[in-house]
Amino acid sequence: MKTPFVAARLSLALVWLLIAGPLLAQEERELLPVTGTYAITPVTIIQSPGRSIDKGTVIVKDGLIKAVGKNIPVPPEAIVLKGDSLYVYAGFIDGLSHVGVNKPNNENRDRVKDPGNPPPDRAGIAPQTDVRNFLNPTDKAVEELRAVGFTTAHVVPHGGMLPGTGALVWLGGRSADDMVLQSQTSFFSTLATADRVYPVTVIGVIAKWRELYRQAAQAKAYATTYASARNGLKPASTDRVLEAFYPVIDKKMPVLFQAEKALDLHRVLDLQKGLGFPLVVAEVKEGWDVAPKLKAANAKVFLSLQLPEEKKEEKKDEPLKSMSAQEKEALDKRKAEFAAKYTGQAAAFQKAGVPFGFSALQVKAGDIRGNLRKMIKAGLTEDQALAALTTTPAQLLGVSDLLGSVDAGKVANLVVTRKPYFDEKSVVHYVFVNGILYKMDLGAAKKEAAKVALEGEWTVTSETPQGKSEALLTIKKEGTQLTGTVSADFLPQPVTLDTLTYEGNVLKFSFVMNQDGRNIKVEVEAKVEGSTFKGEATLDGGDKLPVQGQQKPKP
Amino acid sequence: MLVTLPALGQQTGNMLIRNATVLTITKGTQANTDVLIKDGKIAQVGKSLTAPTGYTVQDATGMFVMPGIIDAHSHQGIDAINEWTAPVTAEVAVGDAINPFDVALYRALAGGVTTIHAMHGSANAIGGQCQTLKLRYGVLEPEALRMQGAPRTIKFALGENPTRVHGGGNNIVPRTRMGVEFVMREAFSKAKAYAAAVDTYTKAKTQKGFRGAPPEYNYRLETLAEILKGNIIIHCHSYRADEIYMMLQVCKDFGIKKIVFQHVNEGFKVAPELAAYGAMASVFADWWAYKFEVYYSTAYNAAILTRNGVTTSINSDDPELMRHLYHEAGKTQKYGALSDDEALALITLNPAKQLGIDHRVGSIEVGKDADLVIFQNHPLSVYGVPQVTIVDGVVRFDRTKDADDMRLAVDPNEPVEAVELQQRDHDSCLEGLDGAFDTIFGLN
Amino acid sequence: MKKLTAFLYTSATVALALAIQPLAAQSQKSTHATYALTHASIETVTKGVIQDGTVVISQGKITAVGTSVTVPAGAEIIDCRGRWIYPGMIDANTKLGLSEVASDPRTRDFNEVGDIVPQMRALTAVNPNSVLIPVTRVSGVTTVIATPEGDLMPGTAALINLHGYTPDQMFAGFEGVVIMWPQSGRRGGFDKRTDEEIKREYDKRINKLNEAWQKAGEYHKIDSALQSKGVTYYPEMQALLPVVRGERPFIIQVDVARDILNALTWVREKKVKKVILSGVSEGWRVATEIAKANIPVIAGPVLAVPTRDYDRYDKAYANPGLLHKAGVKVALGTTDDRGNVRNLPYHAGYAAAYGLGREQALKAVTIVPAEIFGVADRLGSIEVGKNATLLISDGDPFETKTTIHQVFIDGWKIPMKSRQTELYDEFLQRTPGVTKQ
Repeated sequence: MKTPFVAARLSLALVWLLIAGPLLAQEERELLPVTGTYAITPVTIIQSPGRSIDKGTVIVKDGLIKAVGKNIPVPPEAIVLKGDSLYVYAGFIDGLSHVGVNKPNNENRDRVKDPGNPPPDRAGIAPQTDVRNFLNPTDKAVEELRAVGFTTAHVVPHGGMLPGTGALVWLGGRSADDMVLQSQTSFFSTLATADRVYPVTVIGVIAKWRELYRQAAQAKAYATTYASARNGLKPASTDRVLEAFYPVIDKKMPVLFQAEKALDLHRVLDLQKGLGFPLVVAEVKEGWDVAPKLKAANAKVFLSLQLPEEKKEEKKDEPLKSMSAQEKEALDKRKAEFAAKYTGQAAAFQKAGVPFGFSALQVKAGDIRGNLRKMIKAGLTEDQALAALTTTPAQLLGVSDLLGSVDAGKVANLVVTRKPYFDEKSVVHYVFVNGILYKMDLGAAKKEAAKVALEGEWTVTSETPQGKSEALLTIKKEGTQLTGTVSADFLPQPVTLDTLTYEGNVLKFSFVMNQDGRNIKVEVEAKVEGSTFKGEATLDGGDKLPVQGQQKPKP
Repeated sequence: MLVTLPALGQQTGNMLIRNATVLTITKGTQANTDVLIKDGKIAQVGKSLTAPTGYTVQDATGMFVMPGIIDAHSHQGIDAINEWTAPVTAEVAVGDAINPFDVALYRALAGGVTTIHAMHGSANAIGGQCQTLKLRYGVLEPEALRMQGAPRTIKFALGENPTRVHGGGNNIVPRTRMGVEFVMREAFSKAKAYAAAVDTYTKAKTQKGFRGAPPEYNYRLETLAEILKGNIIIHCHSYRADEIYMMLQVCKDFGIKKIVFQHVNEGFKVAPELAAYGAMASVFADWWAYKFEVYYSTAYNAAILTRNGVTTSINSDDPELMRHLYHEAGKTQKYGALSDDEALALITLNPAKQLGIDHRVGSIEVGKDADLVIFQNHPLSVYGVPQVTIVDGVVRFDRTKDADDMRLAVDPNEPVEAVELQQRDHDSCLEGLDGAFDTIFGLN
Repeated sequence: MKKLTAFLYTSATVALALAIQPLAAQSQKSTHATYALTHASIETVTKGVIQDGTVVISQGKITAVGTSVTVPAGAEIIDCRGRWIYPGMIDANTKLGLSEVASDPRTRDFNEVGDIVPQMRALTAVNPNSVLIPVTRVSGVTTVIATPEGDLMPGTAALINLHGYTPDQMFAGFEGVVIMWPQSGRRGGFDKRTDEEIKREYDKRINKLNEAWQKAGEYHKIDSALQSKGVTYYPEMQALLPVVRGERPFIIQVDVARDILNALTWVREKKVKKVILSGVSEGWRVATEIAKANIPVIAGPVLAVPTRDYDRYDKAYANPGLLHKAGVKVALGTTDDRGNVRNLPYHAGYAAAYGLGREQALKAVTIVPAEIFGVADRLGSIEVGKNATLLISDGDPFETKTTIHQVFIDGWKIPMKSRQTELYDEFLQRTPGVTKQ
């Protein structure tokens, strides 16, 4: 959807073409930027929460913020980005995610013969793994997260209870190594159980964690003794798993736990209490009651940017109710009460005086801005939200000297928007990552709009064994949700679609029609081109019929 | 409503319960009697007591008060039950996965239960450590449910479950009751050697100039060694007389004195041996025939054990039975004509002894925790209905104030009408095991 | 090899079980004579309580009930001073006789292959020598319905008396075709299907049910036209004929509120003549609708946890009372398949304590199920002309303190023994004790 100013990537497909194609094939060559110097002016600069400059100038040079302020001369080699009505912020920092991290290939593994003694990797124990081995700058998620203003992410490997060590990476770069700002930044851990081998329960995970930690502490102490004079002693352990714990035991590396639920947090805190390692918790979703305990444990906190989805319940017109209206109302109320706790979590942490950043591990990038606005509506101020995206995570990750504010000398990680970022109508125009400019494709918004053009009436025709059959499909949009109905001569009344999705250019919908007392499920999948679609309908999971659609001109 | 209260973990109450028929268990039945509760403890039991200012007064005229019920075998209030992957998993502890949100805990409170023994499952010959919990439902912190000071306990299991899971499912010893005995003896022998090696190392380390490698830390063996030292009470899932006897021999050979047999459906057949050893028994009132090893059971089990001098309790192992243990205890009057005091002891003082907490709970005596239930009608009557349940002097259930929806946490993503039809005949002892096993082996 | 070993293991255990059980089950014989139960408190159920009364049993029937009854010459007199007489209790939802050891598939005979198999008859698969039968009847439960379970139409259930050595001797005069109503919602947390999949599956099941019902109607028309001569052999449809003709009911096993409504709608639309709803855990949610449909229910188990996390803790206890209040005819069933049908009186006791009231609870395990099953002329109360199926106790049979002293089934005086009492007798004071001297 978005094109970087520098087409910094050779796609895999292109590589394949180069190898497999004819020798004289056309070749796309990337054009390098003319300069590394930019000036954004005159622009509103939000240097950090509560600190701003009106109609100022930001100079970016060789990857760094060269100068920030009013009346700053623009160097001759600079490309000037006109900043009228634009706002500049420090690039956002994601506290935990797998963005740009490939999954290891775990297919076709042998059955473990003794599930009580699996090889460590099968148990999810691989703390020696370095996320740098899995980085992939072409991961689409990198581009998606960048498009909402994130420039740096703390990424970790995929895996089980001990997936490996994390790294702080740029959301951009030409190669895997190019992405890394700092490596070995955290000892990542989860409470994930193993698949049919020990530990298959959370209590197994916790017990194993304790045992490994204590074994590592013992091994480390002995290694010191051994190193001091080796003769006459049994050689010290070189176990990779145990060695990976050493920096944690030395309190040089924090343990970063993914702890979403309230009970996860309590369990992780109890584990930490017993062993005493420095702790970071991330992707926290239900921490509102645990904030004081986290504070007491001096834990660093990254709250999840994901919020519960507001699912609209289908409105069914039933003559008989299987639940009384009062009961339904009471239950809805309790649900709403808890939904509010999730959206209010950030404000609750703020109130409890626990500094926090955000993590984007599970949120869809497209939901981030909406969710931030919900949190603000639930009591977080815009400055507090901005701090949680910039200055606080920079502090928590120990990179305040490099990131988190728009100040001279810091890395040129910037977000440039039209209208203030938290405004619903705000649009991200440019993102600088490590001094590299990415121009957002503003046409994308228009393409989004094109989706909406599905709304309206479509004449749907289908070739059935009995001849041509015609129906009318009506598509409506409610909020972001598409809904639809089908009416036809062979249907006594219009039928509401059970499902309706539109992704890429594929339209899918399904409904159930009653024919002679029999319910038949109709599922349609079709490709949309302009105002027509072509595809197939499947009846009750069996017979298939070709279908075509033609959109009626709007009145 | 409880749900709106803040965390009440360490909260204790002051209260006067007035004019009740008090079923003390240890000191008989006392009519028209008051119970005074101070700071969560029973301060006084007597007639016409006065409540100091600030005390809440609970009128119990025409009602019965009994000690809070103790369930010596439960799997509620914890998120993990069976680390079924190995025949010995002594190092895991269900106390690491306490779930204070489990609504089954509230439902148990509504059935007069105030303390439960949350247990590891029975998939392994030596399972995980269990946790004694107080049902302080309404608190949000797992730690607040833990009964501080209760002795450590661990789950063992004999017979069909461990042999089917490991021998049958994974082709690993044990596949037979011979194998189960071997697993026990091997584990204890290794633990003994480990403890000795650790001792030797610890002593050697104090010598000046000592340099040497420590025995590699082993959480499992360390835990087993604690059993040998008498610091952990064994609660052993068992059914058949032969395996119960076998386990007694193993305990004898390794000098283990603290053992409670759980389920122990054929305990009645070796009741004299159990009594002679000082082993205790925690049984179902009448469950049987759900699998082959409980086919030769009798509902007179509790009575035979009691008459033979075995300290016996009646447990639930089930979120449903858990809510009417007073009724389950009542069945021993039909099957074996136990007295009221004997029947009530099965769900109060006796399970307290089995969990090593009888100095704290299990009877209405001055100085004990104020864990009490107020009943309308006698608790051993089928028409007995718990009205108020008190834990540490705090009212945690009040039938007149009960709201329908007592959940402490609501998942906003869940559709309102989500129905969880409870599976009816469910043996939670093997919960957490993969469904495929169940289909193949019909595990229970 | 592993499979073979497993098979041998299982076969061996089963063989062992079968070899031993008939010996232990009915070691003492029941007797048959003219009996006079004198000086008893008689809970007739239908006609109040008679103090210091007499019940005469002759030829398997109750021939006299009252305070001024002449004891027939030669009658064996059983002095019931301080004792109570109640009708035998009826458990309206069990698998008794069809399941011996619940976890062992080789002893489970309630679940046949196939989704529409109404021709599978519980009556002929009931094991008269099941160890579970004496265990149940000595607690005063004398009559139960043995119910197949499985897919949509798993078979035909039968009402049996817990005494006799052949199906004919046990049959209590009622059979009904079981429908396991498909669940339209999620079955629980473990159910990971999408909403769409759930709906698709449900629709498929309903279509199958519709198809079976439609075919049964067609079969009925042809069968009637041909006067049952030369009709194609079609056992499924033959089993459904009595239902189509209103001679037998559908027993619809259904629990969730929405499903109950769906079932009610289906029954109305398909014009099914006789229907019983069974299970109905969430009946209280839609009680008025059930009452309006005028369909009787077999509620239970009463000793159960509520179906939803957010339901009041005592909803399962209260369900029968709430249904009764709404005007629904309620019998009780334990739904037990693990040897504890004997706990029926306690299910009734809980229903009584939590809203149904003792009188109605007693009816719900005696006369009401007899009426629902169309056997009220024979069972369910202490009345002249009814079968002599009753119990003698020293008090309220719902109380655990009460002892059942004697049970009669069809006039047979049942030995008050079961394997469980025999084990008690043998082991209360085991000899030898700890040492074998």
